[in-house]
Amino acid sequence: MSRVSPLSQATLKTSPAPLSVSRARHSLAPWARIAGLAACALLTLGPVIWTVSTSLRTPAESFDLPPKIIPTHPTVDSYRGVFDQIDVWLLALNSTLVTALIAVGQMITAGLAGYAFARLDFRFKKSLFALVLATMMVPLQVTIVPVFLVLKSMSLTDTLLGLIIPAFPTAFGTFLMRQYFLGMPKDLGEAAMLDGAGPWRTFRSVYAPLATPGLAIVGVLAFNYHWNEFFRPLILETSGQNYTLPLGLVSLQGNLGTGSISVVLAGVVLSMIPAVAVFLVGQRPLREGITSAGVNR
Amino acid sequence: MTDSHLTRRTLLRYGAYGAGAAALAGTAASWDRLTGADIPGRDDGSLVVATLGPAYGPEAIRTLTEGFKKVHPDIKLRINAVQATDWSDFFAKILTQIAAGTAPDLVYVATEGVQLFAQRLGVALDAWVKRDAAELREYFADVHPSLVESMMYEGSLYQLPVEFNAADMYLNSQVLKRAGAGFPAADWTRDDFTELLRDMKKSSGSQFTPYFWTNRLWGGVVPWLFANGTNLLTESKAPGGAWLWDGFYPSAARQGRGGGFRWTTPQATDARVEESYDYLASLIQEGLCTRPEGGNGQNLIGVFSTGRVGVTPAGGFWAGGLHLAGMEPGSFDVQYFPRWRTQRMQYGAAGYSLLRTSKKQDEAWEFIKFAARRDTLMRLFETNQTTPARRSMLTADRYRESGPRHWQVFYDTLDKFPDTGPIPAPPQVAEVEQVLLKHTGTALSSRRSVGPALRRMQSDLEKAMERDV
Amino acid sequence: MTNTQMPAVRPSRPATTPATGAAQPSARDRGTRLLATLFLAPTIVGIVVFTVVPIVGSVVLSLFHWNVIDSPRWAGAANYREVFTDSTVLVSFRNTLVFMVLAVALQLLIALVLALAVNGRMPMWLRSVFRSAFFFPLVLSAASISVVMKYLFNQDFGVVNWVLGQVGIAPVPWLTSEHSAMAAVILVYVWQQFGFSFLLFVGGLNNIPKEIHEAASLDGATGLRKHLHVTLPLLSPTLLVATVVGVINALQVFEQPYVLTDGGPGDSTRTVVMVIYESAFEQLRFGEASAVGVLLFVLIMAVTALQFRLSRRFVHYQ
Repeated sequence: MSRVSPLSQATLKTSPAPLSVSRARHSLAPWARIAGLAACALLTLGPVIWTVSTSLRTPAESFDLPPKIIPTHPTVDSYRGVFDQIDVWLLALNSTLVTALIAVGQMITAGLAGYAFARLDFRFKKSLFALVLATMMVPLQVTIVPVFLVLKSMSLTDTLLGLIIPAFPTAFGTFLMRQYFLGMPKDLGEAAMLDGAGPWRTFRSVYAPLATPGLAIVGVLAFNYHWNEFFRPLILETSGQNYTLPLGLVSLQGNLGTGSISVVLAGVVLSMIPAVAVFLVGQRPLREGITSAGVNR
Repeated sequence: MTDSHLTRRTLLRYGAYGAGAAALAGTAASWDRLTGADIPGRDDGSLVVATLGPAYGPEAIRTLTEGFKKVHPDIKLRINAVQATDWSDFFAKILTQIAAGTAPDLVYVATEGVQLFAQRLGVALDAWVKRDAAELREYFADVHPSLVESMMYEGSLYQLPVEFNAADMYLNSQVLKRAGAGFPAADWTRDDFTELLRDMKKSSGSQFTPYFWTNRLWGGVVPWLFANGTNLLTESKAPGGAWLWDGFYPSAARQGRGGGFRWTTPQATDARVEESYDYLASLIQEGLCTRPEGGNGQNLIGVFSTGRVGVTPAGGFWAGGLHLAGMEPGSFDVQYFPRWRTQRMQYGAAGYSLLRTSKKQDEAWEFIKFAARRDTLMRLFETNQTTPARRSMLTADRYRESGPRHWQVFYDTLDKFPDTGPIPAPPQVAEVEQVLLKHTGTALSSRRSVGPALRRMQSDLEKAMERDV
Repeated sequence: MTNTQMPAVRPSRPATTPATGAAQPSARDRGTRLLATLFLAPTIVGIVVFTVVPIVGSVVLSLFHWNVIDSPRWAGAANYREVFTDSTVLVSFRNTLVFMVLAVALQLLIALVLALAVNGRMPMWLRSVFRSAFFFPLVLSAASISVVMKYLFNQDFGVVNWVLGQVGIAPVPWLTSEHSAMAAVILVYVWQQFGFSFLLFVGGLNNIPKEIHEAASLDGATGLRKHLHVTLPLLSPTLLVATVVGVINALQVFEQPYVLTDGGPGDSTRTVVMVIYESAFEQLRFGEASAVGVLLFVLIMAVTALQFRLSRRFVHYQ
């Protein structure tokens, strides 16, 4: 195991970075690189742009080729249709409650468990970690009936809590946070220990602040996943008042798929707004986490 | 710099505390929402009806609940619209509830599931039908016997059909005009159909394919089997059912009716089945027909309404769908499926199945009757999102706004062709359907692959039919 | 680490020592264990109740015939025998493995290249725009976007073939030919999923101190060489996460093939989870579905264990 002292970090830190060297860093011309990135971004966003623009067109124009990115007769009728056909506000409230609580819960459980697996010593560590990982490997479709029975024994079926509580433990989040903590310089904690900090203080004041980017990823991904979740709510929620947005949006497809494609897509667009917002907000900690935490200050 | 940095961090920390406190408060405030405690009348011993969500929006649920309350103020009713995207989603939900002992009393079931439910889960309605015969006479007089027969299993009636959809041919008027073709006659043949596709192809550009269809049980390859006088499985009638036919239908309508369909021996290698596949393969080869895509045909309306497709099989539900997609009443029309050896057509129907586990079977029967009433269906099917099972509801008035001009075709498919039948749906329907779709996909990849694929289909079907559900 | 080293430096900060006399190594260990217990409790308890119990339930169920409606009948190994002789199940395992290898490889490659490119010198706002763009597909629900994709990939009317037609490529029967359907499913899946690995890589690159890069540059390393010898080893923990999670997710792929092709044409895109779903909820064979589930579980475990074993050679922690 490497025992890099804090000093070696300092040596690295003090190495000057002259401009000329920085400029030579990339063999690829920056403009070519940026142009390539732009092309990829366009390719990635293409289907999304098509979705948004189709939701703003009349259904009759939906399938025109070449695709009309800018609608000739833009209309928000489809959006009005969404609000007319389903109770968007109630569905969004339910989705927000469920998703936000799951995201916060996962950040807590994953942060704590990930740290324990990465930096604390205890018995059965390996087997417990294997157990956590193993839970990622079971498709929901296999366990949904037993899960339903467990929730029923707790009187949690057809409640939002029944969606939330089982989603708190997160194998992926725990795994991710473990890797994050493992990736942090070990000498930081050792230095704190040498300074006399106990295990809790070492976690609290040395490692936890560094974990922000990882936690942000856990939170953002949890929000995304559960915001779009369909199968679990379908099975667990029975009352219309407990439906989440993805369930509600199904109504827009109409009997035997006869719903207007524009309205369906308007629903899809509406439902992705909060997830986009969360990502944009989450980007900041993702980016800044490391600098504000002071590793290379 | 250090100072401002610290301030910012402190601010951030207090911000985080604040957010945490707000979240806690918010959670506490919405506790009732999280536990469902704010939903009035939950688990209060209501009669529970599970319907398919996309077919029954909030408006329809209100209509049913309020309407039922007026007729039966003493029976509490709760309608759960299961927001399933397809039949298997819907089934997953219902089965989980059955496994947990929280099954609904009534489940909305289409032809696909009629025999499965009848065999495993349902209660026959015979006793109630006989008891309330006087009240039901008007209903049966209004509903084609074929639809009723499709809801029978081994001599007993399990559902009262409220809607159906036959696979008729929709034609895009604009494409017809472009091809210089007239509206086809009611007795058009398969060859007329092929000619029409060729004319359409010739007069249109490259972004156009005359015939579009989806690889599914309803409206896929099966209508062609029907038109060619064959079926995927041998078809016969169960004995019995006379109690119903004699009681409610005049002798002419009784002719040939029995106790429900029996679909038994697979016959995928039958010469006529092969001939039907060969025909479709030749259409694909000639560029007159799309290769069949799997799935539920969600894009179908889009490509048809925008004139990228000339002809496609669909039922009365498309009148509402095309209207919603912005098509004017005159811009499309509907005709019977073309004649080959026969002009027998295919349909699917739906109604409410009463579960054996229900402890409110009498109340449930009251709901079944209520749901089949003319005034209920009038309020429910306002937008032509399906074909009502009641003949009297198909009027010029109903189709004035949406079209098509030949709306009579929808019900005449039954009246003029009394042998028109339901999709083959034995209790093993799920596997039968999967086998059919799987091998249809490979059979039609080229003309040479038809034979081998049908032989594989036959052996898979035999295996599927042997299985106990 | 050896505890004996600690007391030597401890006196410098006596005030922070807990009053319990943590000078004793054993006390510190006790504290560590207590902390570990507290930290792990929420995760482990939740997992036991909501995953382990249901999994055990599924394993038991795989030994029974059960159609949900009637009570279960003992089947012994019959379900497993059935599974191993069912050509659809076997094909679905092959499809899933092929899908996993191609999809994960493509996903990681695209994500890595884009993450490195985004990490290069450019205005902050531009970087932010790119990051959001690549992440965007992840925001959408797989089922809804697959409906859109199904239209875009349609052979006759789809935008994809229209674009290809503009450069003279004949229409591809993306979803209706046994040869191209899997490619279409992989493309749609990777399109939606690469943002996930991308995000991990961006985070991982952020974790690499700038100084190391600069030091490497000083030593004369540039471009590809620098990435191969400096960046990749430092990124290897993140690479491991991305691979392991990518593989686990890919082996459970469901929505994309379900919506795009319904497993067809033939069985060419039928995946293991599709088979599980179909046999359980369409064909009411819960015992057999559970048996397939157990086999999939074992397969995923084996693949994951293999990755960890291999990772010992390639992954470097700081």
